[in-house]
Amino acid sequence: MVKKKQSLHETSTTVIVDDEADVTPNEEDPAFTNLSQNLAEIRKETGVIGYILRSSTSATIDLKEPEKIVEYALFSSQVLDSSREISELFKIDTIESVLIEGKKTKALCMDIDGIKISIFMEKNADHADILKRVSP
Amino acid sequence: MNNEVYSFALKSTLQEIQNICPDVSNSFIFKDGKILAKDETTPEKDINHTIDAFDSITEKADLIGGLEAVTIQGANGRVNIACMNDFYLTTVSSKEADEKYVNTLTRILIPIVIRLIEKIHPALPEDGTFTTVEPEPVEDEVAEEVAEDSESDLPAEETAPTEDEEERFAPEVDPEPLLPEAPVTQLIVENLGGLLVPSDTVRIDNEVIAQWNDLYGDKKLHEVNLETLSGKTTRCKFKPMKNSKQTGKGVIGIPEKIQLTLETSKGELVMVKPIVE
Repeated sequence: MVKKKQSLHETSTTVIVDDEADVTPNEEDPAFTNLSQNLAEIRKETGVIGYILRSSTSATIDLKEPEKIVEYALFSSQVLDSSREISELFKIDTIESVLIEGKKTKALCMDIDGIKISIFMEKNADHADILKRVSP
Repeated sequence: MNNEVYSFALKSTLQEIQNICPDVSNSFIFKDGKILAKDETTPEKDINHTIDAFDSITEKADLIGGLEAVTIQGANGRVNIACMNDFYLTTVSSKEADEKYVNTLTRILIPIVIRLIEKIHPALPEDGTFTTVEPEPVEDEVAEEVAEDSESDLPAEETAPTEDEEERFAPEVDPEPLLPEAPVTQLIVENLGGLLVPSDTVRIDNEVIAQWNDLYGDKKLHEVNLETLSGKTTRCKFKPMKNSKQTGKGVIGIPEKIQLTLETSKGELVMVKPIVE
Protein backbone atom coordinates (compact mmCIF):
# COMPACT_ATOMS: atom_id res chain seq x y z
CA MET A 1 0.00 0.00 0.00
CA VAL A 2 1.22 3.50 -0.79
CA LYS A 3 2.62 5.26 2.22
CA LYS A 4 2.62 9.04 2.22
CA LYS A 5 3.83 11.53 4.73
CA GLN A 6 2.17 14.90 4.80
CA SER A 7 3.40 17.94 6.63
CA LEU A 8 1.13 20.86 7.25
CA HIS A 9 2.82 24.07 8.35
CA GLU A 10 1.22 27.18 9.88
CA THR A 11 -2.19 26.73 8.28
CA SER A 12 -4.06 23.93 6.66
CA THR A 13 -3.84 25.69 3.30
CA THR A 14 -0.17 24.85 2.95
CA VAL A 15 0.22 21.17 2.44
CA ILE A 16 3.53 19.53 1.69
CA VAL A 17 3.24 16.00 0.46
CA ASP A 18 6.47 14.13 0.89
CA ASP A 19 6.83 10.55 -0.28
CA GLU A 20 10.10 10.05 1.51
CA ALA A 21 10.16 8.29 4.85
CA ASP A 22 12.21 10.96 6.62
CA VAL A 23 10.60 13.36 9.00
CA THR A 24 10.28 16.93 7.87
CA PRO A 25 12.00 18.93 10.62
CA ASN A 26 10.33 21.84 12.28
CA GLU A 27 13.25 23.81 13.55
CA GLU A 28 11.13 26.31 15.42
CA ASP A 29 9.91 23.71 17.90
CA PRO A 30 12.51 21.25 19.17
CA ALA A 31 9.90 19.26 21.12
CA PHE A 32 7.88 18.77 17.96
CA THR A 33 10.98 17.79 16.02
CA ASN A 34 12.04 15.27 18.66
CA LEU A 35 8.59 13.71 18.74
CA SER A 36 8.55 13.64 14.95
CA GLN A 37 11.81 11.72 14.82
CA ASN A 38 10.71 9.44 17.63
CA LEU A 39 7.44 8.63 15.88
CA ALA A 40 9.19 8.03 12.57
CA GLU A 41 11.20 5.33 14.31
CA ILE A 42 8.11 3.85 15.97
CA ARG A 43 6.34 3.87 12.61
CA LYS A 44 8.87 1.31 11.37
CA GLU A 45 7.78 -1.19 14.03
CA THR A 46 5.67 -4.12 12.95
CA GLY A 47 2.02 -3.56 13.71
CA VAL A 48 2.16 0.24 13.68
CA ILE A 49 -0.29 1.51 11.09
CA GLY A 50 0.59 5.16 11.29
CA TYR A 51 0.49 8.31 13.33
CA ILE A 52 -0.67 11.89 13.48
CA LEU A 53 1.44 14.51 15.22
CA ARG A 54 -0.08 17.95 15.57
CA SER A 55 0.92 21.14 17.31
CA SER A 56 -0.79 24.53 17.09
CA THR A 57 1.29 25.41 14.04
CA SER A 58 2.41 22.17 12.41
CA ALA A 59 1.30 18.66 11.69
CA THR A 60 2.96 15.49 10.50
CA ILE A 61 0.84 12.61 9.29
CA ASP A 62 2.07 9.21 8.26
CA LEU A 63 -0.66 6.68 7.63
CA LYS A 64 -1.05 3.44 5.74
CA GLU A 65 -4.34 4.69 4.31
CA PRO A 66 -3.67 8.29 3.20
CA GLU A 67 -7.15 8.52 1.73
CA LYS A 68 -8.53 8.32 5.25
CA ILE A 69 -6.44 11.13 6.72
CA VAL A 70 -9.47 13.27 7.50
CA GLU A 71 -11.26 10.43 9.25
CA TYR A 72 -8.20 9.62 11.33
CA ALA A 73 -7.72 13.28 12.22
CA LEU A 74 -11.34 13.73 13.25
CA PHE A 75 -11.24 10.55 15.29
CA SER A 76 -8.04 11.59 17.08
CA SER A 77 -9.41 15.00 17.85
CA GLN A 78 -12.68 13.54 19.17
CA VAL A 79 -10.85 11.04 21.37
CA LEU A 80 -8.80 13.76 23.04
CA ASP A 81 -11.77 16.11 23.46
CA SER A 82 -14.04 13.44 24.94
CA SER A 83 -11.26 12.11 27.16
CA ARG A 84 -10.64 15.59 28.52
CA GLU A 85 -14.35 15.90 29.40
CA ILE A 86 -14.33 12.54 31.18
CA SER A 87 -11.07 13.23 33.01
CA GLU A 88 -12.51 16.50 34.33
CA LEU A 89 -15.67 14.74 35.53
CA PHE A 90 -13.72 12.19 37.53
CA LYS A 91 -10.87 14.46 38.51
CA ILE A 92 -8.07 12.22 37.33
CA ASP A 93 -5.98 15.28 36.54
CA THR A 94 -3.95 15.83 33.38
CA ILE A 95 -4.36 13.13 30.74
CA GLU A 96 -1.18 11.15 30.21
CA SER A 97 -2.53 8.80 27.58
CA VAL A 98 -5.70 7.41 26.08
CA LEU A 99 -5.90 3.91 24.68
CA ILE A 100 -8.81 3.23 22.34
CA GLU A 101 -9.27 -0.43 21.53
CA GLY A 102 -11.35 -1.32 18.52
CA LYS A 103 -12.36 -4.67 17.13
CA LYS A 104 -9.77 -4.40 14.35
CA THR A 105 -7.13 -1.95 15.51
CA LYS A 106 -6.30 0.29 18.44
CA ALA A 107 -5.05 3.82 18.92
CA LEU A 108 -2.88 5.48 21.51
CA CYS A 109 -3.52 9.20 21.92
CA MET A 110 -1.57 11.71 23.97
CA ASP A 111 -1.27 15.42 24.51
CA ILE A 112 2.27 16.38 25.45
CA ASP A 113 2.55 20.08 26.24
CA GLY A 114 0.02 21.00 23.60
CA ILE A 115 1.40 18.63 20.98
CA LYS A 116 -1.24 16.06 20.13
CA ILE A 117 -0.16 12.57 19.16
CA SER A 118 -2.22 9.68 17.86
CA ILE A 119 -0.58 6.38 17.01
CA PHE A 120 -2.62 3.74 15.24
CA MET A 121 -1.62 0.11 15.47
CA GLU A 122 -2.70 -3.47 15.06
CA LYS A 123 -4.38 -5.09 18.04
CA ASN A 124 -1.36 -7.21 18.88
CA ALA A 125 1.09 -4.31 18.85
CA ASP A 126 2.77 -3.51 22.15
CA HIS A 127 1.13 -0.19 23.03
CA ALA A 128 2.76 -0.13 26.47
CA ASP A 129 6.21 -0.16 24.90
CA ILE A 130 5.23 2.54 22.42
CA LEU A 131 3.82 4.65 25.24
CA LYS A 132 7.12 4.40 27.12
CA ARG A 133 9.04 5.48 24.05
CA VAL A 134 6.86 8.50 23.41
CA SER A 135 6.26 9.67 26.98
CA PRO A 136 8.49 12.49 28.19
CA MET B 1 -41.76 -3.68 36.11
CA ASN B 2 -38.68 -2.12 34.66
CA ASN B 3 -35.22 -3.65 34.78
CA GLU B 4 -35.07 -3.57 38.58
CA VAL B 5 -33.62 -7.05 38.92
CA TYR B 6 -30.90 -6.35 36.41
CA SER B 7 -30.12 -3.08 38.06
CA PHE B 8 -30.15 -4.48 41.59
CA ALA B 9 -27.87 -7.40 40.80
CA LEU B 10 -25.44 -5.31 38.79
CA LYS B 11 -25.42 -2.59 41.42
CA SER B 12 -24.61 -5.16 44.09
CA THR B 13 -21.82 -6.50 41.93
CA LEU B 14 -20.39 -3.03 41.41
CA GLN B 15 -20.49 -2.51 45.16
CA GLU B 16 -18.68 -5.81 45.71
CA ILE B 17 -16.02 -4.81 43.20
CA GLN B 18 -15.48 -1.57 45.10
CA ASN B 19 -15.35 -3.47 48.39
CA ILE B 20 -12.73 -5.83 47.01
CA CYS B 21 -10.81 -3.04 45.28
CA PRO B 22 -11.03 0.12 47.39
CA ASP B 23 -8.93 1.83 44.72
CA VAL B 24 -12.00 1.73 42.45
CA SER B 25 -13.77 4.97 43.33
CA ASN B 26 -16.59 4.97 40.78
CA SER B 27 -18.26 2.35 38.66
CA PHE B 28 -21.36 2.15 36.55
CA ILE B 29 -22.84 0.17 33.67
CA PHE B 30 -24.70 1.52 30.70
CA LYS B 31 -26.21 0.16 27.54
CA ASP B 32 -27.53 2.01 24.50
CA GLY B 33 -26.99 5.33 26.24
CA LYS B 34 -28.99 4.38 29.32
CA ILE B 35 -27.70 3.77 32.84
CA LEU B 36 -28.33 0.18 33.93
CA ALA B 37 -26.56 0.26 37.26
CA LYS B 38 -24.35 2.60 39.21
CA ASP B 39 -22.57 2.78 42.51
CA GLU B 40 -23.77 5.09 45.25
CA THR B 41 -21.05 7.66 44.85
CA THR B 42 -21.30 8.63 41.20
CA PRO B 43 -23.84 11.34 40.35
CA GLU B 44 -26.19 10.51 37.52
CA LYS B 45 -25.32 13.79 35.83
CA ASP B 46 -21.65 12.78 35.59
CA ILE B 47 -22.59 9.41 34.17
CA ASN B 48 -24.76 10.99 31.50
CA HIS B 49 -21.93 13.33 30.53
CA THR B 50 -19.60 10.36 30.34
CA ILE B 51 -22.02 8.47 28.12
CA ASP B 52 -22.33 11.49 25.82
CA ALA B 53 -18.57 11.84 25.57
CA PHE B 54 -18.19 8.11 24.98
CA ASP B 55 -20.89 8.13 22.29
CA SER B 56 -19.03 10.91 20.48
CA ILE B 57 -16.02 8.62 20.19
CA THR B 58 -18.17 5.63 19.24
CA GLU B 59 -19.69 7.56 16.34
CA LYS B 60 -16.25 7.88 14.76
CA ALA B 61 -14.93 4.47 15.77
CA ASP B 62 -15.78 2.62 12.53
CA LEU B 63 -12.22 3.44 11.57
CA ILE B 64 -10.93 0.97 14.16
CA GLY B 65 -13.69 -1.57 13.60
CA GLY B 66 -16.01 -0.37 16.34
CA LEU B 67 -15.20 0.45 19.92
CA GLU B 68 -14.34 -2.21 22.49
CA ALA B 69 -12.63 -0.31 25.26
CA VAL B 70 -11.33 3.09 26.25
CA THR B 71 -8.69 3.64 28.92
CA ILE B 72 -7.90 7.19 29.95
CA GLN B 73 -4.79 7.38 32.08
CA GLY B 74 -4.60 10.57 34.08
CA ALA B 75 -1.92 11.84 36.43
CA ASN B 76 -4.12 10.94 39.42
CA GLY B 77 -6.15 8.00 38.19
CA ARG B 78 -7.61 6.01 35.40
CA VAL B 79 -10.98 5.71 33.70
CA ASN B 80 -11.74 2.50 31.86
CA ILE B 81 -14.82 1.87 29.75
CA ALA B 82 -15.04 -1.72 28.55
CA CYS B 83 -17.61 -3.48 26.44
CA MET B 84 -19.01 -6.68 27.97
CA ASN B 85 -21.60 -8.46 25.94
CA ASP B 86 -23.72 -5.44 24.97
CA PHE B 87 -23.01 -3.58 28.19
CA TYR B 88 -20.39 -0.96 28.89
CA LEU B 89 -18.75 -1.07 32.28
CA THR B 90 -17.01 2.07 33.46
CA THR B 91 -14.56 1.97 36.33
CA VAL B 92 -12.65 4.88 37.78
CA SER B 93 -9.63 3.89 39.81
CA SER B 94 -6.77 5.61 41.53
CA LYS B 95 -3.31 5.61 40.06
CA GLU B 96 -2.23 3.04 42.63
CA ALA B 97 -4.85 0.48 41.55
CA ASP B 98 -3.55 -2.67 39.89
CA GLU B 99 -5.07 -2.27 36.45
CA LYS B 100 -4.75 -5.93 35.52
CA TYR B 101 -6.32 -7.07 38.79
CA VAL B 102 -9.26 -4.71 38.38
CA ASN B 103 -9.72 -5.72 34.74
CA THR B 104 -9.56 -9.42 35.51
CA LEU B 105 -12.04 -9.08 38.34
CA THR B 106 -14.55 -7.03 36.38
CA ARG B 107 -14.23 -9.10 33.23
CA ILE B 108 -15.11 -12.22 35.17
CA LEU B 109 -17.71 -10.97 37.63
CA ILE B 110 -19.87 -8.78 35.44
CA PRO B 111 -20.36 -11.29 32.59
CA ILE B 112 -21.23 -13.99 35.14
CA VAL B 113 -23.85 -11.79 36.77
CA ILE B 114 -25.28 -10.80 33.41
CA ARG B 115 -25.52 -14.46 32.38
CA LEU B 116 -27.13 -15.38 35.68
CA ILE B 117 -29.75 -12.70 35.29
CA GLU B 118 -30.38 -13.70 31.71
CA LYS B 119 -30.85 -17.26 32.91
CA ILE B 120 -33.39 -16.10 35.46
CA HIS B 121 -35.07 -13.75 33.01
CA PRO B 122 -34.52 -15.16 29.55
CA ALA B 123 -37.46 -13.25 28.15
CA LEU B 124 -36.02 -9.82 28.84
CA PRO B 125 -37.18 -7.75 25.90
CA GLU B 126 -34.79 -5.56 23.96
CA ASP B 127 -36.14 -2.37 25.45
CA GLY B 128 -34.73 -3.53 28.76
CA THR B 129 -38.06 -3.92 30.53
CA PHE B 130 -39.55 -6.99 32.12
CA THR B 131 -43.07 -8.12 31.45
CA THR B 132 -43.54 -10.11 34.64
CA VAL B 133 -43.60 -9.05 38.23
CA GLU B 134 -41.18 -10.70 40.59
CA PRO B 135 -42.08 -11.05 44.25
CA GLU B 136 -39.75 -9.12 46.52
CA PRO B 137 -38.11 -12.17 48.15
CA VAL B 138 -36.86 -13.23 44.74
CA GLU B 139 -34.92 -10.00 44.37
CA ASP B 140 -33.49 -10.47 47.84
CA GLU B 141 -32.28 -13.91 46.93
CA VAL B 142 -30.76 -12.70 43.69
CA ALA B 143 -28.94 -10.00 45.64
CA GLU B 144 -27.66 -12.52 48.14
CA GLU B 145 -26.43 -14.74 45.38
CA VAL B 146 -24.54 -11.90 43.77
CA ALA B 147 -23.01 -10.93 47.07
CA GLU B 148 -21.78 -14.46 47.48
CA ASP B 149 -20.33 -14.46 43.96
CA SER B 150 -23.10 -16.80 42.85
CA GLU B 151 -20.90 -19.76 43.51
CA SER B 152 -22.68 -23.05 43.24
CA ASP B 153 -26.42 -22.71 43.55
CA LEU B 154 -28.84 -22.85 40.72
CA PRO B 155 -30.64 -19.52 40.60
CA ALA B 156 -33.53 -20.80 38.55
CA GLU B 157 -34.50 -23.21 41.29
CA GLU B 158 -34.24 -20.68 44.08
CA THR B 159 -36.39 -18.02 42.56
CA ALA B 160 -39.65 -19.82 43.26
CA PRO B 161 -41.24 -18.79 40.00
CA THR B 162 -44.89 -18.03 39.68
CA GLU B 163 -47.15 -20.33 37.69
CA ASP B 164 -46.93 -18.08 34.67
CA GLU B 165 -43.23 -18.07 34.85
CA GLU B 166 -43.11 -21.82 35.25
CA GLU B 167 -45.03 -22.15 32.03
CA ARG B 168 -42.82 -19.66 30.28
CA PHE B 169 -39.58 -21.17 31.45
CA ALA B 170 -40.78 -24.78 31.17
CA PRO B 171 -38.90 -25.61 27.96
CA GLU B 172 -35.68 -24.39 29.53
CA VAL B 173 -35.92 -26.42 32.70
CA ASP B 174 -33.38 -29.17 32.70
CA PRO B 175 -34.39 -32.40 34.44
CA GLU B 176 -30.87 -32.51 35.91
CA PRO B 177 -30.34 -28.85 36.32
CA LEU B 178 -27.83 -28.65 39.12
CA LEU B 179 -25.03 -27.23 37.01
CA PRO B 180 -24.79 -23.50 36.53
CA GLU B 181 -24.30 -22.05 33.08
CA ALA B 182 -20.66 -22.26 32.12
CA PRO B 183 -19.14 -18.80 32.55
CA VAL B 184 -17.52 -17.15 29.58
CA THR B 185 -14.26 -15.48 30.44
CA GLN B 186 -12.31 -13.13 28.22
CA LEU B 187 -8.58 -13.72 28.38
CA ILE B 188 -5.64 -12.15 26.63
CA VAL B 189 -3.69 -14.40 24.30
CA GLU B 190 -0.05 -15.12 25.12
CA ASN B 191 2.26 -17.25 23.01
CA LEU B 192 2.91 -20.74 24.34
CA GLY B 193 5.86 -22.58 22.91
CA GLY B 194 8.69 -24.95 23.69
CA LEU B 195 9.84 -28.43 22.83
CA LEU B 196 7.66 -30.25 25.35
CA VAL B 197 4.56 -28.13 24.96
CA PRO B 198 1.62 -30.15 23.61
CA SER B 199 0.05 -28.41 20.66
CA ASP B 200 -3.49 -29.29 21.74
CA THR B 201 -3.39 -27.84 25.23
CA VAL B 202 -3.76 -24.25 26.37
CA ARG B 203 -2.56 -22.82 29.67
CA ILE B 204 -5.13 -20.84 31.61
CA ASP B 205 -4.82 -18.33 34.43
CA ASN B 206 -4.95 -20.24 37.73
CA GLU B 207 -7.46 -17.81 39.22
CA VAL B 208 -9.91 -18.49 36.41
CA ILE B 209 -9.56 -22.25 36.88
CA ALA B 210 -10.03 -21.85 40.64
CA GLN B 211 -13.23 -19.99 39.99
CA TRP B 212 -14.49 -22.74 37.69
CA ASN B 213 -13.62 -25.34 40.30
CA ASP B 214 -15.54 -23.38 42.91
CA LEU B 215 -18.47 -23.20 40.55
CA TYR B 216 -18.55 -26.85 39.56
CA GLY B 217 -17.19 -28.56 42.65
CA ASP B 218 -16.46 -32.22 41.91
CA LYS B 219 -17.12 -32.04 38.20
CA LYS B 220 -14.08 -32.74 36.09
CA LEU B 221 -12.97 -29.97 33.82
CA HIS B 222 -10.45 -30.96 31.18
CA GLU B 223 -11.45 -29.08 28.09
CA VAL B 224 -12.51 -25.61 27.09
CA ASN B 225 -14.19 -23.96 24.15
CA LEU B 226 -12.27 -21.01 22.77
CA GLU B 227 -13.94 -18.35 20.67
CA THR B 228 -12.38 -15.27 19.14
CA LEU B 229 -14.15 -11.97 18.71
CA SER B 230 -14.41 -12.76 15.01
CA GLY B 231 -16.34 -15.92 15.81
CA LYS B 232 -13.67 -18.60 15.21
CA THR B 233 -14.06 -21.43 17.70
CA THR B 234 -12.18 -24.52 18.75
CA ARG B 235 -12.22 -27.03 21.56
CA CYS B 236 -9.03 -28.06 23.30
CA LYS B 237 -7.54 -29.33 26.53
CA PHE B 238 -6.35 -26.96 29.21
CA LYS B 239 -3.93 -26.88 32.10
CA PRO B 240 -3.11 -24.20 34.65
CA MET B 241 -0.40 -21.65 33.94
CA LYS B 242 3.02 -22.79 35.03
CA ASN B 243 4.37 -19.29 35.41
CA SER B 244 3.06 -17.95 38.72
CA LYS B 245 3.91 -14.40 37.64
CA GLN B 246 1.08 -14.57 35.14
CA THR B 247 -1.50 -15.57 37.72
CA GLY B 248 -4.33 -13.08 38.02
CA LYS B 249 -3.36 -11.25 34.86
CA GLY B 250 -6.18 -12.66 32.78
CA VAL B 251 -3.99 -14.35 30.20
CA ILE B 252 -4.19 -17.62 28.31
CA GLY B 253 -1.16 -19.33 26.79
CA ILE B 254 -2.07 -20.72 23.38
CA PRO B 255 0.22 -22.87 21.21
CA GLU B 256 0.87 -21.62 17.71
CA LYS B 257 -1.22 -24.37 16.11
CA ILE B 258 -4.35 -23.36 18.00
CA GLN B 259 -3.62 -19.68 17.36
CA LEU B 260 -3.56 -20.47 13.64
CA THR B 261 -6.85 -22.37 13.91
CA LEU B 262 -8.44 -19.43 15.67
CA GLU B 263 -6.71 -16.87 13.46
CA THR B 264 -5.66 -15.03 16.58
CA SER B 265 -2.35 -13.89 18.01
CA LYS B 266 -0.66 -12.54 21.10
CA GLY B 267 -2.44 -9.62 22.71
CA GLU B 268 -5.88 -10.39 21.30
CA LEU B 269 -8.86 -11.44 23.38
CA VAL B 270 -10.47 -14.87 23.32
CA MET B 271 -13.59 -16.01 25.11
CA VAL B 272 -13.03 -19.15 27.13
CA LYS B 273 -15.79 -21.44 28.34
CA PRO B 274 -15.19 -24.63 30.31
CA ILE B 275 -16.75 -27.85 29.05
CA VAL B 276 -18.39 -29.62 31.95
CA GLU B 277 -18.47 -33.41 31.75
